[in-house]
Amino acid sequence: MTALLKVERVTKRFGGLVAVRDVSFELRPGEIAGILGPNGAGKTTLFNLLTGFIALDLGTVEFEGGSLAGLAPHRIVNRGLARTFQLCRPFRGMSVFENVVVGCLAPRVRRAGGTEARARRILDQVGLAAKAAVPVDALSYGDLRRLEIARALATNPKLLLLDEPFAGLGSSEIEPLSALIRRLHAEEGLTILIIEHKLREFMQLVQRVIAMDFGEVIAIGPPAEIVRHPRVVEAYIGRTEAPLGIA
Amino acid sequence: MRRLNKDVIGALTVLAVLALAPLAAQSDYVTGILTVSLIFGIWAVSWDFMSGLSGRENFGHALFIGAGAYTAAFVDGKFDLSPWWGLPAGALVAVLFSLIVGFPTLRLRGPYFALAMLAAATIMQRLMRIFWQYTGGEEGIPGLDPLFDEPLSTYYFCLGALALVTAALLALARSSWGTILRAIRGDEAACQAAGINVTFYKIASLVISAACAGTGGALYADYQQAVTPDVFAVALSITIIIMVYVGGMGSIYGPMGGAIVLALLPEVLRGLGEYRLWVYSVILMFILFFSPDGLVAPLWRRLRGAP
Amino acid sequence: MFNILVYGAVTSAIYAMLAVGFTLIFGVARILNLAHGAFYGLGAYAAYVMTGPLHWPLPLAAVAAVLLVAGFGAAMERVLVRPLRQSALAVLMITLAVALIFEQGMFLLFGSEARNVPAFVTDTWTYSGLDISGQRLLTLAVGVLVLCLLYLFIQKTRAGAAILAISQDPEGAQYMGIPANRLYSLVMALSAGIAATAGVLTAPFLTVQPTMDLLPMVKAFAIVIVGGLGSIPGSILAALLLGYSETVVAYTVSPAWTEIVSLIAVLLTLILRPAGLLGKRAAF
Repeated sequence: MTALLKVERVTKRFGGLVAVRDVSFELRPGEIAGILGPNGAGKTTLFNLLTGFIALDLGTVEFEGGSLAGLAPHRIVNRGLARTFQLCRPFRGMSVFENVVVGCLAPRVRRAGGTEARARRILDQVGLAAKAAVPVDALSYGDLRRLEIARALATNPKLLLLDEPFAGLGSSEIEPLSALIRRLHAEEGLTILIIEHKLREFMQLVQRVIAMDFGEVIAIGPPAEIVRHPRVVEAYIGRTEAPLGIA
Repeated sequence: MRRLNKDVIGALTVLAVLALAPLAAQSDYVTGILTVSLIFGIWAVSWDFMSGLSGRENFGHALFIGAGAYTAAFVDGKFDLSPWWGLPAGALVAVLFSLIVGFPTLRLRGPYFALAMLAAATIMQRLMRIFWQYTGGEEGIPGLDPLFDEPLSTYYFCLGALALVTAALLALARSSWGTILRAIRGDEAACQAAGINVTFYKIASLVISAACAGTGGALYADYQQAVTPDVFAVALSITIIIMVYVGGMGSIYGPMGGAIVLALLPEVLRGLGEYRLWVYSVILMFILFFSPDGLVAPLWRRLRGAP
Repeated sequence: MFNILVYGAVTSAIYAMLAVGFTLIFGVARILNLAHGAFYGLGAYAAYVMTGPLHWPLPLAAVAAVLLVAGFGAAMERVLVRPLRQSALAVLMITLAVALIFEQGMFLLFGSEARNVPAFVTDTWTYSGLDISGQRLLTLAVGVLVLCLLYLFIQKTRAGAAILAISQDPEGAQYMGIPANRLYSLVMALSAGIAATAGVLTAPFLTVQPTMDLLPMVKAFAIVIVGGLGSIPGSILAALLLGYSETVVAYTVSPAWTEIVSLIAVLLTLILRPAGLLGKRAAF
């Protein structure tokens, strides 16, 4: 099966600091994978590189066989690669509905027409239909996260990159969001790549884990293996972060 | 649908009032003042479309106004063509300026874009003075031919222009174009992440804004039958921003009202001509503290009733 | 050649005084103070009123003028700016309103003709064939002195350290118990006072009229942008650069082109390097 996303030897330097070093991996269509790593491992930088917000220093990124190097973020989105942000970035001063509509105005989707109907359908999918007219400034954080996903979904992506979707959520909000992601994966046949640094949420959700530390990939494999991988354990225990928390 | 009807009624009422005003006044002087206020309306509406919606405040709107005005003056005065050519020519040159200045500056954030435009407008003002052999320097270019001989005809033409510009920009603002501009205001990066070509929309909106402002500038030159470097002045840019603020930023129709009100105010408060900026400042302060959304648009929304 | 050296230095000193205050209030309180030129103008007009109709001796008038404007600056911050702080645009507009009111106010009170303020130093010196007015030299000297005092204040005093803290991290500083609001008033007072000092010193040889606030405002803007918003060393560097460039242009090309120099510098900076020479951030 040909890879949907092929990342090869991607490197990014900021001055003297190498944020991402020699990262390579592949994503198969239809899988849910996760990028795991402690803070500062380079995960969000990697996302920014993949989605065109930062330029690559070295390496190649291929999506469905076509190179993404040098493309502006909006063009990458229109190839079918959408992302959410670690800190929610809604369009302030607009309603929930309008926020999703913007995603439906991406040329990739807009050509098909039926923008408003599509927006409503997506709001239904993520469970925000009842709050369509609410201004985003009044939303709870959990709902803002759903909105982030809805807006990315609106662009009809083949690959969805979620940047720490569970960050800042209380325990009662995590499970429904996790269920939503699983549902989207099953219903839409999306390929999903999630960044997280909390392992517990990962374990149930992803099929394969790409572990990073200090900008490098240190291990790739199913969650059960990764959790026992010596370098991964060292990366976590070797810091003052809480242990992996596998009950 | 009901909201649309109320808006249409409101618009037609305003149009009717504006159409009848000069006839009621029966004075060329009043007609002249009303004409100027209409032109300010065009400038304010064009500013609001770009900056009011997208939040990219432009402190150098006079750049486009001056470009249109001087082009019209050149077309009529130096090249001796019919002043009617001045209108499209003025719009075209203003568009050119917007592209030249817009491309490098629109990627700048917040106050930097505003200041870059201000610098550009002020540079043009200075250049008009420096190259006085071509531009007439401080005195400018006098003795232009007007579009119409009758002040009343000029007035109705400007009214038509204002109505057209306002209707067109309002329609755009209410369409997905407006939604995108407001999203750009909300968060540009997120807009890109939603697949929107933000740069295109910013530049295109600036171009549209410039075209309208330039046309207004040409109309102004025709009305004054002269052009001076003051048409690039910072004071003009700022006056327009204040008018938009009073009207209600982002509403398009509000700035039209704000412009007309503020342009007429010095006349209404007779003998206040020199105090104009003072009055504006006080009004501005009042609004900033008590009615930050402006006066005209919120007033209309209350009159109309919540949709 | 010597002309250029001296006049360039004087111009740079004046610009530095204007720019430093402007960048200070921006760097610390994130306020783009469009009334800054008005502080300069108020200093000059205050000096005029005190030495003219009030007949106060010059040294007293000078100090009083500076203190008065500093107080006005603090009051403006407290009464007009602070309530509107959530919106950067509102702050911009209110300072703009103050600037406009100043201009109109001065026009109403004193008319549009230029006014006279006596000079501190009326001698002129001659050196290698050049006449330099003592007042200009005094301006240069005081300018340098003020900048040094400001530097010492920020580096050596507790208030100065607090100001630095607030400019780097407003929230964090407040958690440390630093009273941000009081400091903003203080910084505004400093900023206004320095601008007023420039006004008082240059009033004898530059024009004192209602529109005098516009050009210094534009210059201060230009210098601060080129030097980097929020960077005091940047402002000083840019002041030197622009002061000397303008003087050179005035002598070699023509005085009419001098204003364009700073404007073009601004445009180029914004396009090529928006953060300025020494600025840390490219935007708000």
